[in-house]
Formats: sequence, structure tokens, C-alpha cells
Amino acid sequence: MAELVISNVDKIYRPRRKKPVHAVKDLNLSVNSGEIVALLGSSGCGKTSTLRMIAGFEDVSNGSITLDGKAIHTLPPSKRGVAMAFEAYSLYPPLTIGDNIAFALKSSSLPTVEQQTRVKAMAEMLDIGGILNRYPSSVSGGQQQRASLGRALVRDAGLYLLDEPMGQLEPQLRAILRGRIKAYLRQHNCTTILVTHDQTEANALADRIAVMEGGILQQYATPADLKARPANLFTGTFVGEPPMNVFPAEVTATTKSVAFRIGERTSLTYPRSDFSSEVVQALSSIKKLAIGIRPYALHVGKGPIAGQVVACQWLGDQTHVAIEVEGRTVVSVAHERIKEKPGSSLALEVSASDLHLFDAENGNAIAHGGQLA
Amino acid sequence: MDHTSPLEKLIRAALLAIVIIFFMFPIAWIVLMSFQTNESILRIPPSLIFTPTIENYVALITGEMRTAAGSLKLDFMRNLWNSVLLSSASVAVSLLLGVPAAYAFARFKFRLGEDIAFTLLSFRFAPPLLVLLPLSLYFKTLGLTNTYIGLIWVYQLICLPLILWIVRGYFEDLSPDIEHAHRIAGYNWFQTFWKIAIPLALPGIAAAGLLAFIFAWNNFVFALVLASADKQPVTVGALAFVTASGIQYGQIAAAIIFSIIPTFVLAMFAQRYLVEGLSLGAVKG
Amino acid sequence: MNQLAIRSLSKSFGAFKVFEGLNLAADSGEIVVIFGGSGTGKTILLRMIAGVEEPTSGHVEIAGENATDVAPEHRGIGMAFQNFALFPHMSASENIAAPLRAARAAEAEVESGVSRVARLLKIDHVLGHTPRELSNGQKQRTALARALAAEPKILLLDDPLRNVDAKLRFEMRLELPRLLRQSGATVLYVTQDYKEAMALADRIAVLSGGKFVQVAAPEDIYMAPATLTVAKLFGDPSINMVETTVRTAGKSATVDILGESVEIPASYAAYAGRKVAFCVRPEAVSLAHKSDGLHCEVQAVTPLNERVVLLLKSTGGWEFLSSLPSSAAIPTTGEKLRASFASKGTHLFDLETGERLDG
Repeated sequence: MAELVISNVDKIYRPRRKKPVHAVKDLNLSVNSGEIVALLGSSGCGKTSTLRMIAGFEDVSNGSITLDGKAIHTLPPSKRGVAMAFEAYSLYPPLTIGDNIAFALKSSSLPTVEQQTRVKAMAEMLDIGGILNRYPSSVSGGQQQRASLGRALVRDAGLYLLDEPMGQLEPQLRAILRGRIKAYLRQHNCTTILVTHDQTEANALADRIAVMEGGILQQYATPADLKARPANLFTGTFVGEPPMNVFPAEVTATTKSVAFRIGERTSLTYPRSDFSSEVVQALSSIKKLAIGIRPYALHVGKGPIAGQVVACQWLGDQTHVAIEVEGRTVVSVAHERIKEKPGSSLALEVSASDLHLFDAENGNAIAHGGQLA
Repeated sequence: MDHTSPLEKLIRAALLAIVIIFFMFPIAWIVLMSFQTNESILRIPPSLIFTPTIENYVALITGEMRTAAGSLKLDFMRNLWNSVLLSSASVAVSLLLGVPAAYAFARFKFRLGEDIAFTLLSFRFAPPLLVLLPLSLYFKTLGLTNTYIGLIWVYQLICLPLILWIVRGYFEDLSPDIEHAHRIAGYNWFQTFWKIAIPLALPGIAAAGLLAFIFAWNNFVFALVLASADKQPVTVGALAFVTASGIQYGQIAAAIIFSIIPTFVLAMFAQRYLVEGLSLGAVKG
Repeated sequence: MNQLAIRSLSKSFGAFKVFEGLNLAADSGEIVVIFGGSGTGKTILLRMIAGVEEPTSGHVEIAGENATDVAPEHRGIGMAFQNFALFPHMSASENIAAPLRAARAAEAEVESGVSRVARLLKIDHVLGHTPRELSNGQKQRTALARALAAEPKILLLDDPLRNVDAKLRFEMRLELPRLLRQSGATVLYVTQDYKEAMALADRIAVLSGGKFVQVAAPEDIYMAPATLTVAKLFGDPSINMVETTVRTAGKSATVDILGESVEIPASYAAYAGRKVAFCVRPEAVSLAHKSDGLHCEVQAVTPLNERVVLLLKSTGGWEFLSSLPSSAAIPTTGEKLRASFASKGTHLFDLETGERLDG
């Protein structure tokens, strides 16, 4: 099991007769031994290029990649000691599901009996024990994806790379398989990088998440930290479902209070003691301020955010409430059931400890919950 | 991986050059021939140095062919006109019949539909001569021998299957949802066919029409059997250059140049259309 | 009055039966969501109502009249497609105007109609663009605008949010109910996302195995699923299940969960000896260090939005999930606890028929 270090890596594609594309810009990322890291971003953010560079399917334009202190970015893929599950499954069509999973083990020095037990255990974990004798073309997409995942995980490798590993899984199985896979990676102390555009998957599996956008690493932190302390407006609004509410705001600080005006009639006022003096200091020099409030932090109460209910949608284990406040839609989520008729008046409140303050000009975070970012 | 070595570039260029020479040589040779007299063409050894003459072209346009044995009347311009008329009329008729048929085959499942479509295609399998013998007898009885209508009719054997099968593929590639959406928006099936299906398949229709035109233009054997001199297209008309006193190579070359021009111009024009047709996929979503 | 009704509608392709004998009636202005997995025939059903697909048997009634012989263009229906199905060779505004022009509206009416729905759907700034130049979200809004433009009495929406990204889907989910109510149309909405179904529907019709297994309000579907299939389709994470037998001990009823006995409400005692599927919603599982409840060990902790999902294993090897608000005390991997199940989220289904057993 190994430690991966990506230092100052660039990836520049130079298509013929087209402008070069700078897909990954000066990426620095380290993954500890046994850690599960997710590369999260929308399509074109550079996450897949990064994964392909680690796997060796793509040259590194600049910088280096080391695994356990050994530079691997110049080695061919087969010499890197890396196992990978592909988004498109890439199972070998002439082999059965079982042989596909066992494929990489065949060339290892493991005794045949041991190989068989491993394949069987892996198949049990992924709920494909019953289809080991079938061929890839005769099973569903979800089953193929699980087989592809099994083929990667069954190997002994220094590093496991999983490209959108659960995108096609049957919704009913997803939660339980996430749990099993996470338990498996933990038990076997697998150093893992998974690439995904689905933050639910990243949150569920990863110890740390690297959020990428435009080829640049935006933030690298634990799932909890990403939510509580987003580094900028991009990660703030990108991570979290439903997305964070963002308001442009004007701030007025007196000796007793700090007030944020977010509309003609709407203003959030807190005692000054809710904010550290550094935050108040920093706010005084900000020209354009943006306030971010997560839907879960908005509670039905006395205000000050008041408006008409647009929608009140109960989903079984949570309620999504949207109200219109001075032409803007504000979303609040509660774990309990709330029944409000569309059109009725509703007031939401939020405590100072749930406010995220951003400099709207460059997007950088200023403060989270009254403390400097 | 995106770097190419100089050696690679060199080899690539050389290979390309070989391919170009291989394919362009006959055409270049014919262009050269068309500017030479028969004597200079038949010179041994052949030489690239000669005095260019437009005599061949003049002969074709005036219809006056001077050979060693004297002057001969020929009506090549008439042949050219016949070719244009026969080919365009045939393609027009084929489009008129073939496009709606292609739409029907693509969109509606009806009894024997596949069989009919295949039968139409199978016309292309049989050697034309096999069909021609009985056909010429019928044509004589019907009085269709040596008429434009008769020839255009027979040319449907060439054009119709081609248009039907190509255009059908294009219609099948169009999402039926787009047509359904148009129906539901309040239009009847004919309006939908006319306003949605036709415009969206237009690149395919153009490509099929062009191909059919070229096939019709290049046809030889139908016209040879079923038409006499005044209705013959260029392909058959060129036989006139094989005279008693020898073969008029220079004039044949000029005639070839003349007969290539229409299809060449059409292809150049339609190229843009064909490329647009290929990007149709981007439209579907 | 029933604005729309389907009467014993069936469709088969050769020997393959897509669905059989479907019955459903929707009141004027009602939003009915047809929910089902892929391949259940939801889209075919919508197409039949629109008139572009022929039923094998049965018929569709519009405003009380049999619509079998009514051509699609005369049914007074607006429809939005999953793949948007915009006319690629027309601008967004021409797309939206198409139904108005078909109705031979005057030019001024067409213009005002287009700008009305465009404003409603916030696409007035891209009206001149061709579909190719629109983003996915704009395409989807244009398709909706086109469906709404002629103010149809019946609106068919075929999974309209399927092909837009999660954020946009969420926004539209909040926005749609108001939009649909304003239109006053009877809405049939097809989706395979249970959250969308619960958020939008007055009633949900669950299509599975070629028939409607339950047609009810979202609340009833979630709190009292008629069959095991329905229970599994609604909820994320999906409902926990284990096969067992109901036993009685005196007045109380229990089920045996792989060797361990768990008490269930006494009202289930009537089903003593019955082979059942014991199901419990992950959010109804509570965990504590206490002296009663099912012994279990935490296998993995996987956060899910603002909740935390725990994979647990009972002593007998039953794997099940618990979903807790992230503000709650979260156990750690390897921790041993006792689990108890709130009766509200616990359901018993007959193992053979899959039918719900009332407790």
C-alpha cells in the first residue's frame, strides 16, 4: 500500500490545427497510504485527464507523479502497479464474468485455490455471485459495472483507480454497495482514487475530496470541511445538495451588531459578538459581499427571511421548502415533514454560525460561522 | 504522443503523393490528350512536349469532324444535351416517387414492406443486358423505343433503388419524436412530412440525388439498345469517334472532358451539402 | 369530471406484453405522475394518449369522449419529450410558435403567446437561437414552453428533467408545480425518479410488471406501500428487507431475523406462521447502546447529503442500512449497538404475493 504524490502536473492537449487545451493546471495533490480520495467535478474539469495520467494512458506535460517515492509518470501503464475500473466497463467479451474478475490474478503467483476464493468473495460482495458463468453481453449494465469494479479490486495493487465506478448501478443497490465497498477498501487498506461527477458518491466513499474546475484544483478537504468551510463560491455552490442559497449583501457593523442587507426589505442582524473582530475588520474592506446559506441551515421560524411559499415538497425523509423573497427563490430543507400551502407566508431563520461570507469579486471565502476562513 | 518526427512526416508525404499520382494520372493524361492532334498522341515514343491545339474542342462544338479520310458530321453537342435531359429528368422522377416511398418504408410497418423494398433493391443485382432483351421487344410494341419517356422510365431501374435506400436510411435516423412533437403541436401527417421530415433529410436527399445523377449519366447499355443517334447520351455518342479511318483519340479525350464537367461541378457544389449531411447527428438532440 | 381517462389499455409487441388492462382517470387540473423503472412502458402509454402510438386493445377518453379515431393534431394535447424533440431547423421562438400557428392564430397572438410562455420559463433572451445553440437546460425549457404555448387542456410530460443536470433538475422541480397549476391543464407526468414523483404529484400511479400496482397520493405510497415492489422503489436508501416468519408469543408478535427475535406490533399476531418480507425504512432504524433491540455492528459510514447512512450487520449476518440526520450522534465503524425499528416505517409483505399485510 502506497502514498501517491502529484507535483506541479500540467496537461496540455495540442490538437492539430486547433488551439491547445490546458486541461490540468499545476496540480499538486497527495494521497496518503490507505486513503480514499475522490476527484469531483463536472465534465471537462480535468478529473479524467488526471486519472489517465496516473494510470499512464496519457503523458504528463509537466511535473511528476510518484508512488511510494518512485517516479511513475514515465513508466508504461503495466509497470505502475495500478489497478483500474473503467467507466465503460471494458470487460473482455469472450470471457465469462468470473474469468474477467480473475483475469489479473491469473498472471500473479497466487495459488489457484486462493485465486478462486478471492474471486468468489469479491463476487459475493458485489452481488454478482450468481452470474459468474455468464458472458458480459448477457448481463445488465449495472452487473457489468460491478464486474468491472470487481476485476480492479480483486488485484493486489499499490493504487486503485475507479472511474465513475457506480454511475450505472441499480438505485436500490447503490447505498448498500457503497457501504460494502467502503468497508472493503478500509479493511484492505487500499489507497484509492475515484473520479466522479456525483457528489453523493464522493461524499459517501471518500476521506478527502479534490474539487476540480477548469483544470484547477479548487479545494482539497474532507467532505465535512468542504461543506462547513468552502474555500470559494464555486465549491460552496457546487458541493451540497440542494445547492447553497447565495445572496449579494451589504454589511453594516456597529459596536453592538452586524447587519447584512440582502434586499429592499430583508436584512439579517446579529450581535457583534457572533463575529470575531478579524471578520468585522475584513468585512470593512470588501466592496461586494455575497452570503451563502445552506438549505439545511434555514429553519422555519420567525424570520428575518420572509416570503411566499413557492413549493413545499415532502420526499419521505425530508421536506424541501422554497419561498420567494423579493423576487429570489430561497430553499430550505428539513428532516421532518412540513406542510405549507403554496402561496402562504413563511419566515425562515438562520444563526450566525451558519453564515458563509464570500468576496463576490474574486469568489474567495472570507468567513464561515463568524470565524475567518 | 502528439509529436511527429520529421521522418514520419516525410513518409506520410511520399505515400500521399503516390496515392495522388495513381488516381490522378489517367485524368491528367486525358486532359493532355484533349489538346493534341491524333498524330502527336500516337507518336512513338510518347512525349510530354507538344504544340497545344483546341482543334478537338472546336470540332466537337461545331459538329464537324475532320479525319484523315475527310470530314464527317457528328452531333456531340446533341448527345451532351441528351445526357443532361435524361439524367436530370430521371433523377427528378425518382425523387418524386422515391422520397415519399422511402419515408413510408422508414416510418410505417406494413405487410410485405420489407419484401417490396428489397425487391426494388434487387433490380440493381441483375445484369442490365438480361433485362434489356425482353424490354426492347416490349418497348417496340408500346412504341417507346427511341423516346425520351421510354429511356427515363428505364433509367428508374438505376435511380429509384438508390434514392429509396439512401433516403430511407436518413429518415430512419431522424428521431420519430420530432415528428410526433409536430403532430401533437397540431399539424397533419402531410404537413409534418413536408415541414419536418423533408427539410431534416434534405442533405441525404441531395446526396442520393447526386449519386443517382452520376449513375444515370454514366449509363451506357440501356441507351445503346433502346435509343438511336438523336436520343443517345454522351456515353453512347462517344462510339462515333471510332471511325472507319481510325480512332479519334484527341476528340474522345475532349469529349470525356466535356462529359465530366457537369458531374464534376455537381459534386463540387454538393460536397458542402454532403458535409452538412454528416453533421446531422448534432441536430438530433 | 375526468378530463382524461384510459380504459383497459393494453399494448403488446408480438408475444411480448408491455402492459395489460391499464385503467386510470385524471380530473381536470390534476397532476398524476406515472412512475416506473425503465422498460415498463411509461413512454408508450403517453404516446398512446397523444395518439402517435396505437393501443393493442382498450381506448383513451378525452373529456369523456372516446378518442380512438381522433388524430393527434386534434386531441388538444401538449407534450414535452425526454429528448426534447425540438425542431432543429427552427429557432426557439419558431418552435414555441408552432402549436399557435397550427391553430391559425393571428400573428399578434402568436407573438404575445410566445413571449408569455418564454417569460414564464425564463428563456425570453434566447428566443432567436436555434436548438443547437441552446444549453440542455434551455432546450428543456423551450420544449416545455412549446408544450404549454397553445394552453392545452391536457399536458403530457415524458420525463422532461431526465436529461438536465442535477442542479437544474432540482430548480425545475421546485418551479414546475406552480407552472403546471397556472396552466390549469390536466398533467400526466412520467418519471423514474421517486423524488420527482413525490414532489410533483397529486397522485402517483406506480407502473410495474405491466400494471398499475398502486395509484395513490405520495403520502400513502410512501407510508403504506401496497406491495413489496412499491416499497423498494420509493426511498433512498432503499428499504431494508429480510425474509422471515411471523411468530406469536402470548399477545405479542415477533419475527426472527437470522436467529434473533425482534418484536413487532402485536396487531401482526393475526399473521402467525405466515412467511413474510420484513421491511424497515432506513430512517426508521434507531441505534443506541441499550439492553434491547437487534444486535448489530457498524460496517461502514457513508454520508448522504445531510444525512449519514450506516451499513450495519446483525449477529446473524443480516445487512441493513440506517439513515440518520448528520446532526445526530454518529456511531463509528466497528461500533456494536442495538437497533430498534419505529413502527411507522416498518412494513410486512406476504412473501408469496408481495402484498402488504396491515398491522
